[in-house]
Amino acid sequence: MSIRSPQRLSRALALLGALALTAPLSAAVDYLREVKPLLAEHCYKCHGASQQKGDLRVDTAAFAQKGGENGVGFKPGQSSTSLLMQAVRGTHDTISQMPYKKPPLSEAQMTLLAKWIDEGASAPADEKPETTKHWAFVLPVRPEIPKLVNQKAPTTNPIDAFILARLEKEKISTAPEADRATLLRRLNLDLIGLPPTPEEVDAFANDQRADAYERVVEQLLASPHYGERWGRWWLDAARYADSNGYSIDAPRQIWKYRDWVVAALNRDLPFDQFTIWQLAGDLIETNSLPPRTSALEPLIATGFNRNTQVNQEGGIDPEQFRVESVMDRVNTFSTVFLGLTVACAQCHDHKFDPISQKEYYQLYAFFNSTIEDGHGKGVPSGVLEIPGEVESPEAIQKELTETRDELERYLDTKGSAVTKWEQELTEDQRTKLRANVKAAMKPAWSERTLAQKRAVYAAFKPNDGEFKSRNTRLTELEKGTPKRVTTLVMRELPQPRESHLFIKGDFTRPSDKVQPGALSAMHALQGSASNRLDLARWTVDPANPLTARVIVNRVWQQYFGRGLVETENDFGTQGSLPTHPELLDWLATEFRQPNADTPWSFKNLHRLIVTSATYRQSSRVRPELATVDPLNKLRARQTRLRLDAEVIRDSALFTSGLLSPKLGGPPVYPPQPDGVMTLGQSKREWKASTGEDRHRRALYTHFWRATPHPALAVFDAPDGFSACTRRLRSNTPLQALTLLNDQQFYEFAESFAVRVMKSPAKNDDERIAQAFRLCLSRSPNQVEQTRLQQLLAQQLAQEKGDESTRRREAWKTMARVLLNLDETITRE
Amino acid sequence: MNTPDINSLRATTRRQFFSRCGMGLGSIALASLLGDNLFAADAPKLANPFAPKAPHFPARAKNIIYLFMAGGPSQLELFDYKPKLVELNGQPIPQSFIEGKRFAFMSSSHGTKLLGTRRTFKQHGQSGAWVSDLFPHTAGIVDDISLVHSCQATLFNHAPAKLFMNTGSGQFGRPSMGAWVTYGLGSESQDLPGFVVLQSGSRGPRGGAVNWGSGFLPTTHQGVPFRSGGDPILDLSSPKGISTTKQRQTIDAIRDLNLARLVETGDPEITTRISAYEMAYRMQSSAPELIDLSGESEATLKLYGVEKDKPSFARNCLLARRLVERGVRFVQLYHTNWDSHGGPGENLQGDFEKVCRDVDQGQAALVKDLKARGLLKDTLVVWGGEFGRTPMGENRDTTGRNHHIDAFTMWFAGGGVKAGQVLGKTDELGFNSVQDPAHVHDIHATILHLLGLDHKKLTFRFQGRDFRLTDVHGELVKKLFA
Repeated sequence: MSIRSPQRLSRALALLGALALTAPLSAAVDYLREVKPLLAEHCYKCHGASQQKGDLRVDTAAFAQKGGENGVGFKPGQSSTSLLMQAVRGTHDTISQMPYKKPPLSEAQMTLLAKWIDEGASAPADEKPETTKHWAFVLPVRPEIPKLVNQKAPTTNPIDAFILARLEKEKISTAPEADRATLLRRLNLDLIGLPPTPEEVDAFANDQRADAYERVVEQLLASPHYGERWGRWWLDAARYADSNGYSIDAPRQIWKYRDWVVAALNRDLPFDQFTIWQLAGDLIETNSLPPRTSALEPLIATGFNRNTQVNQEGGIDPEQFRVESVMDRVNTFSTVFLGLTVACAQCHDHKFDPISQKEYYQLYAFFNSTIEDGHGKGVPSGVLEIPGEVESPEAIQKELTETRDELERYLDTKGSAVTKWEQELTEDQRTKLRANVKAAMKPAWSERTLAQKRAVYAAFKPNDGEFKSRNTRLTELEKGTPKRVTTLVMRELPQPRESHLFIKGDFTRPSDKVQPGALSAMHALQGSASNRLDLARWTVDPANPLTARVIVNRVWQQYFGRGLVETENDFGTQGSLPTHPELLDWLATEFRQPNADTPWSFKNLHRLIVTSATYRQSSRVRPELATVDPLNKLRARQTRLRLDAEVIRDSALFTSGLLSPKLGGPPVYPPQPDGVMTLGQSKREWKASTGEDRHRRALYTHFWRATPHPALAVFDAPDGFSACTRRLRSNTPLQALTLLNDQQFYEFAESFAVRVMKSPAKNDDERIAQAFRLCLSRSPNQVEQTRLQQLLAQQLAQEKGDESTRRREAWKTMARVLLNLDETITRE
Repeated sequence: MNTPDINSLRATTRRQFFSRCGMGLGSIALASLLGDNLFAADAPKLANPFAPKAPHFPARAKNIIYLFMAGGPSQLELFDYKPKLVELNGQPIPQSFIEGKRFAFMSSSHGTKLLGTRRTFKQHGQSGAWVSDLFPHTAGIVDDISLVHSCQATLFNHAPAKLFMNTGSGQFGRPSMGAWVTYGLGSESQDLPGFVVLQSGSRGPRGGAVNWGSGFLPTTHQGVPFRSGGDPILDLSSPKGISTTKQRQTIDAIRDLNLARLVETGDPEITTRISAYEMAYRMQSSAPELIDLSGESEATLKLYGVEKDKPSFARNCLLARRLVERGVRFVQLYHTNWDSHGGPGENLQGDFEKVCRDVDQGQAALVKDLKARGLLKDTLVVWGGEFGRTPMGENRDTTGRNHHIDAFTMWFAGGGVKAGQVLGKTDELGFNSVQDPAHVHDIHATILHLLGLDHKKLTFRFQGRDFRLTDVHGELVKKLFA
């Protein structure tokens, strides 16, 4: 018996003491006091209310007697032949000794059990089975908002009441509200992923209206950049990338899905529809769509499940990787929407949660009837052409020019042949030519335009294949019917594929056939239970205990650094318990079905959280709480959080005045160090974008799974291989090298310096303060101002050349310092 | 630079520091910083994220150099000598061998006829280990290494198999061995990353960066791929026109302003940030020094076969020695391309000879050089690919061999490894491991053990489960131990 806790030790000692006393005296065994605690400690986990392995539960004496699939547990009075004792003693032929894979019961405990059976196994007649279900599988009920002792505590909405109620219990006060500059910067970074301008800071600081804060929140929620910021949050979970992954990692076109996510969040598409479209947009009735919705939208949304990798390596078994994709869809679905680690059940029944291996493959069956998605060297299928949308004008222009040059070069090689043919034409032949050809023949070949050359050549050799293919393409490009934009979507096979349970998760070892089905530990599935649409509806069913909690928890996590449930991807029995269970349930019910307002609104949820007093607290570390609450789980302050990879870049672009606000479109290629692309198996080119595309938000950077942009990867951007529901926040020397030396950050510093030097400040001291505000949204304190003055003086004294060169160089150093500060890349 | 102004500021800052942050966040180091060294050019001594950690038990090896032969070298052309296979050349393989097995390229070019090697094998050294004529230099170190003929893998396609060899799983997202090791042990090097990756050959290894990824471990532990040309580490050079002095002044200012913020906020992450900038600065000088081979003797360069300024596997071997000399914990070299199906660029004749020449001298030199310098006893050298090759020929443009996971050869040398040993046996055709089979999980467990880590205790909790490099497997290959 393992003894880990003092309570358990004392309980065990009590038990042993009881045995020592009772056994020799042969007093009758007391079921409630002696047997039940023993069974509860060692057996209930697998044979109790939440799980009944082998169809056996022993949480009442009657159940224990009844037994399970291996037969009757015991007959009162006959312990030696009982299945229960054989299992516990390990003397049964086929049943392993119980507790399974745990140390066996002690001899005294076995004797006690046997004695109880032999004495007739008496137990109270009204013994009730355990009803405790794991908290997360119980539907959240809107809890009462707590009444606070201290009526003066700062509350703006019920979130604060829940947080304060707990703090009152612990006798901890909240932190003061952060100053206005910090608040505005926090709100901006959190809601749109960009810092505020100094003018916005001033306006907010001087806004005396009672609802000044709420006004800013509304403004930011209405900004199109809100969708970019929170779209990236969702794309992490959707494992979005612009390439196929595995070894070949060829590019793919699925950015329409990315843009759809951004747009859907911007117009606050309710989460139930957001979910249904992504899981089953190809299966919904188009007449059920909201007004002004294109029928393509739900289709594009199904890209969620096409963000799986595709293996195009030669020699593979495509079926193996198709199966991998299906499993990835199951795992992603359950991580993102259920917060459960079902992947464990791929190979065996889940060890801890009520998910059987069979149930895993029932979920698998929902995703198994999709068309092939291009593994091996096959042609990818499930490609949706977007009508009326063509590849970018730049790309088309480039192709047009190239095709035109190429055709002209080709035709010029035929110039003398054409001239010869023209000279040899008979008068009769000549008259038969079309008027435009005759006109085109007037100038000499070298004087002719391309159009004239084409017209004549078409008459000369109409069936020249090389000419025809180029000419047709050019005509198409000129007509404006070039390549359509495409995106990857889900499509169901006409006949569902058969699904089987795979022994140990090995696709070469199919076992029993399975039908689509949901998890039995959760609510029942409505409808025919036959396709993804049923699963999608099941996911947003009001009876679902998990999804709303899981989503609000992940939103909360963005604002406070950790979720109310810290294990954001494991709400199962091995996950951590919520720090504030009532708050979690209140938020979940409020998200799903608020009293007023629209259900499932992300914007309502954000508004609720960021307007709370809890959110507005200062993030300054409180030494007095260092031992009571080192991880700030009670939220008696805010937390400083290093910015996400994309926000680091975007903020620097913003500060330096370079950021392009352009929304959406094909991926772009900001500069990256040479040689990154050669690290993958296929060496690919990275031609840095020029012009506006060089300075787009990082969300639009082309993401290669095998060779992600180093400035993103180094700051823990997810790799796109599997659903990422929580980013790491590492702090490494490579990050320092990136911010100090990377070409793009150096370019930002150069622009930032120019911006500051051009500003109409009275003197350099003012300029320093201004630069500081552009970068950090607040004014420098005296230490900071002095240190920067010192740096500027040092640099000016040191630089060589004329005044303007010296100033430019000195200010560049100032800009580099500011862009590298910890605070610059932190939300405070 | 210590103007009166700054002195008074320092006093203020110091007071604030002690009043606000009296709470054990490296406060001693900071206190000294805020003392006489504040705003001075001395590098602060703050917490290092790679600080060495004690192993689970005394380690036999401190560092590891892993020579990864990407593509799967043919053991039958190099180490596992099978006269019977030569004798039965051209005959079909008995059905009993291949029943129920799956192979890559199964439908198309996969052959069933046995292919005897055309190489000449000889026994070498005291151990009498067989080595073919393709590895003349390696033949000279057989008494310093343990050859293991009975290695086994699970996956037979390159990318997943390579992942499996590196992470113990064919799925993306698991940490690589190097990440696990630096997570478990930190690194002795103060000036270089704890896990360094070097590459050579015709192309990058399949799968790319995931082979040295940190998976769900903190990204601090991911392998840092040095490049063969240009900057050995990305963004290692200061931007053009930024002198060392200016870079130092820049970092000094960043440090001071970060310190001021630390005082204001009390956030210990800022101390990590400050030390990261210091490490970055040290790397800017230590890494170029590392790759500068001008201090190496002519004899050493000749031993490895390093040609001036030419990227090569041999050069990377020499760099590997320099890295472990400087305390780097885990060095991994990738060399491509060992794939030998018989198609263009991958035939068993000229192409295979070339890739053998690429590595032979360098790898032998590495073991000899480490030994001569007394470094071999503390350094574990591992050599192997993601799998081996079939005894059957595969017919493409020429005859090659297919991927094979049931038996292949790896070798180990140095720290804690028995020298001059041939371990494990395959059947007479070289198809199955018939004695002392060593699966990838077993090899992982063994490598960790030699480094002083218990593979069952080196865990990380992720998605509700304690993960380890060996998943739920792994038996020590005890016969490998000295």
